[in-house]
Amino acid sequence: MYRSSNIVARVFNRQICTPPPGTSVHHARCFYENLVPSYTIYEVECPDHSFRKFTDDGQYLISFSRNYQELIIYRPRWLSFSCKDEDCDKHDLPSRAKRFDSFFTQLYCVPLASCNELICKDFFLYLESQQFGLFATSTAQIHDAPAVGGAVHGVPSIEKITFHLLRLEDGEILDKKVFCNDFVNLTHNTGVFLYDDLLAIVSLRYQTIHVLQIRDAGNLVDVRAIGEFCREDDELFLNSNAQGMAFSDKIKQHQFPGNHIENHMHQGQTNPENSFLSGIKQRLLSFIFQGLWNEERDETSRIQGLRKKFYFHFQDYVDLIIWKVQFLDRHHLLIKFGSVDGGVSRNADHHPAFVAVYNMDTTEIVSFYQNSADELYLLFEQFCDHFHATSRNLMYMNFISSHSNNIHAREQLRSIKDKASNPSQFVKKMLASLPFSCQSQSPSPYFDQSLFRFDDKLISATDRHRQSTDHPIKFISRRRPGSLKFKIKPGPEAGSMDGRAKKISSFLFHPILPLALSVQQTLFLQPSVVNIHFRR
Amino acid sequence: MMISGGGGKSSWSSSTSSWVPTTSVSASGKRIQREMVELNNDPPPDCSAGPKGDNLYHWIATIIGTPGTPYQGGIFFLDIKFPSDYPFKPPQVVFKTRIYHCNVDPDGLVSMGILKDDWSPALTITKVLLAVRSIFTNPDHYNAVVPGIAHLYSGDRAKHDGIAAEWTVRFAK
Repeated sequence: MYRSSNIVARVFNRQICTPPPGTSVHHARCFYENLVPSYTIYEVECPDHSFRKFTDDGQYLISFSRNYQELIIYRPRWLSFSCKDEDCDKHDLPSRAKRFDSFFTQLYCVPLASCNELICKDFFLYLESQQFGLFATSTAQIHDAPAVGGAVHGVPSIEKITFHLLRLEDGEILDKKVFCNDFVNLTHNTGVFLYDDLLAIVSLRYQTIHVLQIRDAGNLVDVRAIGEFCREDDELFLNSNAQGMAFSDKIKQHQFPGNHIENHMHQGQTNPENSFLSGIKQRLLSFIFQGLWNEERDETSRIQGLRKKFYFHFQDYVDLIIWKVQFLDRHHLLIKFGSVDGGVSRNADHHPAFVAVYNMDTTEIVSFYQNSADELYLLFEQFCDHFHATSRNLMYMNFISSHSNNIHAREQLRSIKDKASNPSQFVKKMLASLPFSCQSQSPSPYFDQSLFRFDDKLISATDRHRQSTDHPIKFISRRRPGSLKFKIKPGPEAGSMDGRAKKISSFLFHPILPLALSVQQTLFLQPSVVNIHFRR
Repeated sequence: MMISGGGGKSSWSSSTSSWVPTTSVSASGKRIQREMVELNNDPPPDCSAGPKGDNLYHWIATIIGTPGTPYQGGIFFLDIKFPSDYPFKPPQVVFKTRIYHCNVDPDGLVSMGILKDDWSPALTITKVLLAVRSIFTNPDHYNAVVPGIAHLYSGDRAKHDGIAAEWTVRFAK
């Protein structure tokens, strides 16, 4: 088939050829090779906000005020200006058109945090079907918090974490959910996962997965809490039975406090040394036990195997804590378990960890792997998209490149794998990304690896701050490997004055339009440099 | 395969289990080791046990709920602590899995004659496991530690079994 990268030829080609079945979207996306954000407005005059991201449907630009107390929402639009001459493309843009507000209109500004709280700048989730946004505010973190009331020792505490559900259309706060003296890892949405209308929030401190539902009306409704108990009415069942059992005086001492329903995350026995296994731990240990029991038919070798593989490590299994959770579908959770040290630290790669698939409805563990398991790695390599269980209502969300859907990404992974000196270390490193963080990847077509090649150390679809150099980042066509399509250069046009200063950049790509923001910050308290990249 | 170390949960409140070096060749240690060999060679049905970590005096046992009882399908974990003067004192057996049973107190402690006054140094861990397993089939409701459950067991067996089965499904799967 005749293929030209000329846009006119492509438009003609589109008229006369029908693409092979199922590839029409791929063909349409090729036009992004012609429409690239190649024009840069350097050091845009813009309000001094912290720009968070474009929503995945491209409707809103989320930003926070510098003091992290207010939320400011913009609507992206295209610049417009008039020109007297015939060939206006030759002229430089008028200065009015170069301003931030010619690209973005402020919709509203909402105060979210009260005096001692701050908006968590790394946290934002978007419920695209309802155009709801979920934000978090929190008070300062206390590192050496005493482990009271069943809390895990060694996990920091935050006096108050509030999740705010907003209707982004008008900024109305619809509902709030407060966690007191608890710890939820909010950086890069780690501790919270949104799937359709279901929200899973991991309380690291009380080892509970709170599953909530976001109703269409804008309410946050508790569905179940998984941790100490598995089913939503287990605690009620236990207490109502305890009433029936309360004949002896001994039992009366052990009854739960009367306000247990409101206080459900602070229960826990007075004597943790003799307490029962928590609901999720019982399921986990029983799954591991049954696996080993059924593995061996001969009774003597079975009990020997159990002694070495199970009883010897029993306390280690008991001490595992839930680190991170993601939904695989509406019923299954992928839960990562690890030691206390790894749950809070940033670099958790060298800590041993396990992942389990848990069915919330049947309360069964479906499978359990160590993070060095080759079997899990093979699943991850071949079916990576199954782990990316996010909102798939928007079609272009299916085009986020992964090594399971993109040959170039796969080749890249294979070459890293072949180069890796230690295969088990490589598997661990790759599996460290599981469970995935929610909504952490930009659906922008410029990160589609079948269209463009770029250095993923400098820029990628994953929403992260990166150290930047003074060199522009090149986006090269996949189809014609020699052809540079566009460059993205964060920071001032002439480069920074002090070449040695460490610079951190973040990139916000619009999901549909050839429009991107780059924000560069030096570590000193200078205002950030914002560039707008777009197709002129 | 597993992590070394773990949390620091090793300070046991029980007065019987003062720390004993695992390398000691004390009489009790030898005896426990011998019982371990015996258990390995001839394990009782649906039961297994082994030392937790490298502490010979602290074991974990598992009993699979006996078919035909309300405990069917459950996996029950038990904590077994041997006193330093074992076998002259009985081991302490505690359920780590919630169970609805008239001989198990609300903290999970198993209350049986042979684990108290009727203990004999001739008894072994294998026999203790068999005895615990037998109360799944035949609860000793005359010597109950939870009279409420015992009353229900003797008065309305069907209701008792229903509740016990529900506990098994909820807490022991």
